[in-house]
Amino acid sequence: MIRICNLSKSYQKDSAALCDINLAIGKGEFVYVTGPSGAGKSTLLRMLFCGEKPNRGQILINGRNVTRMRTSQIPYLRRQLGVVFQDFKLIKNRTLLENVSFPLEVQGKKRHEVSKKVFQALKMVGLENHLKKYPLEISGGEQQRAAIARALVVDPMVLLADEPTGNLDDQTTQEIMELFKIANARGTTVVMATHNQELIRRHPRRVIVLRQGRVVEDFMP
Amino acid sequence: MLQNPLLCIAAVGTMAVSLTIVAFFGVLFFNFEELTTSWSRRIQIKTYLEKVPEEQALKDWRQQIESYPEVDSVLYVSREEAFERFRKRLGQNSDLLQGMNPSILPASLEIGLKEGYRHRKGVEAVVAKLKRNPHFSDMRFGREWLERFDSFVMLLKFSAAILGGFLLFATIFIVANTIKLTLYARREELEVMSLVGGTPAFIKMPYVIEGAAEGFLGGFLALAASYLIFSLFLEKSLVSLLLTMGVGQVSFLPPPFQLGLLVAGTALGILGSMTSLRKFVRIRYQ
Repeated sequence: MIRICNLSKSYQKDSAALCDINLAIGKGEFVYVTGPSGAGKSTLLRMLFCGEKPNRGQILINGRNVTRMRTSQIPYLRRQLGVVFQDFKLIKNRTLLENVSFPLEVQGKKRHEVSKKVFQALKMVGLENHLKKYPLEISGGEQQRAAIARALVVDPMVLLADEPTGNLDDQTTQEIMELFKIANARGTTVVMATHNQELIRRHPRRVIVLRQGRVVEDFMP
Repeated sequence: MLQNPLLCIAAVGTMAVSLTIVAFFGVLFFNFEELTTSWSRRIQIKTYLEKVPEEQALKDWRQQIESYPEVDSVLYVSREEAFERFRKRLGQNSDLLQGMNPSILPASLEIGLKEGYRHRKGVEAVVAKLKRNPHFSDMRFGREWLERFDSFVMLLKFSAAILGGFLLFATIFIVANTIKLTLYARREELEVMSLVGGTPAFIKMPYVIEGAAEGFLGGFLALAASYLIFSLFLEKSLVSLLLTMGVGQVSFLPPPFQLGLLVAGTALGILGSMTSLRKFVRIRYQ
């Protein structure tokens, strides 16, 4: 599903954010990318959804070389990915319904299909009673659940999550993890960046450890 | 627009104020231009004839002069007409002319020029052509007045170009920056749209339409505000000023300029949005 070859990225001449990364992530896998702050976790995820261009190396997603992809093609790749962030990135002046609808509207889906899928996605994350609420009217955990609903509403082949539980309490973290597991059980490949070792211990999956931009460990606990 | 009413009001308000200043300047410019046009109508060349011409000769001369591209009209003033005009001009002192007959004054041709030639160069070009005819020996065209008029028109155009250019630049700058600020406040929204797979065109289109609507509204408000200012304050003071200079009435912006203001507002809104969006909507960073 995802193949990364000799990937390097540096913002300044003398320090590399990522250095010669080689990875293969299979279809339907659930992978943690972990490591201390500044290890390159977020940079790696940004490369995967084409938010940034590497200095060197290739990334293949589902057989397509996304590093050589023309900028005009990137939106079409992103429609097959779901992305979840630590700060949720919901549009504050739109309701949850509108926020979750947006990825489908972008794809030009018909209105009745959008309504049906959005309701299903919000029901899956337990927010079906908050359709008309705005992000700032609900808790952080609920906002993250809405962000997950937005990511899953398009049935993505890959779900990328960058510290999705970083701002949440323990109980909410467990709820969010359950949602990721459900998505994974449905066949979505999940790549989750986290530095929460307790989370990895409680929900053991393949772990890729980054340090100073390099893969230092890759194991199944 | 409905989702961000405050930002929208700020953008429309800024555009309206900026365009009102442009419209206000336009009102002044058009009225002063009207003044110069009115003055320029007085520009004419008088050529005095030594002898009263025969009818056929007069007809030929008129035809010849009227064929010049600069010439608008040719009027023959006979000795009798000249004498009558002189009498009228003397008014109460017209009895000074008692015992005199019209032969003391020469007949003349009064040559009016087309609008684009009512300046020193235009006059001199016609005079040069007239001089080829030996019968037109004595020509008057108020050289000094013409030079002063030319300088005044030049000054007016120069001031208009400098001030107008400055105003236009300031308006573009203010409008572009206001739109940039409104989009800056919504950059997260733009980022999210890009992350979920929106193409640049799909993301930008609503904002460009919004910019166009704000620009049109700003232009309309500017037009309304400048009309209000014109009819409440400017009209009276301009009338009293221009009446002393020979212009009978003042007018608001001509309809093409009114339309131009709306178009300019809309275009500014579109251009401002497009340039700012180019900065904020980035699919991939290097």
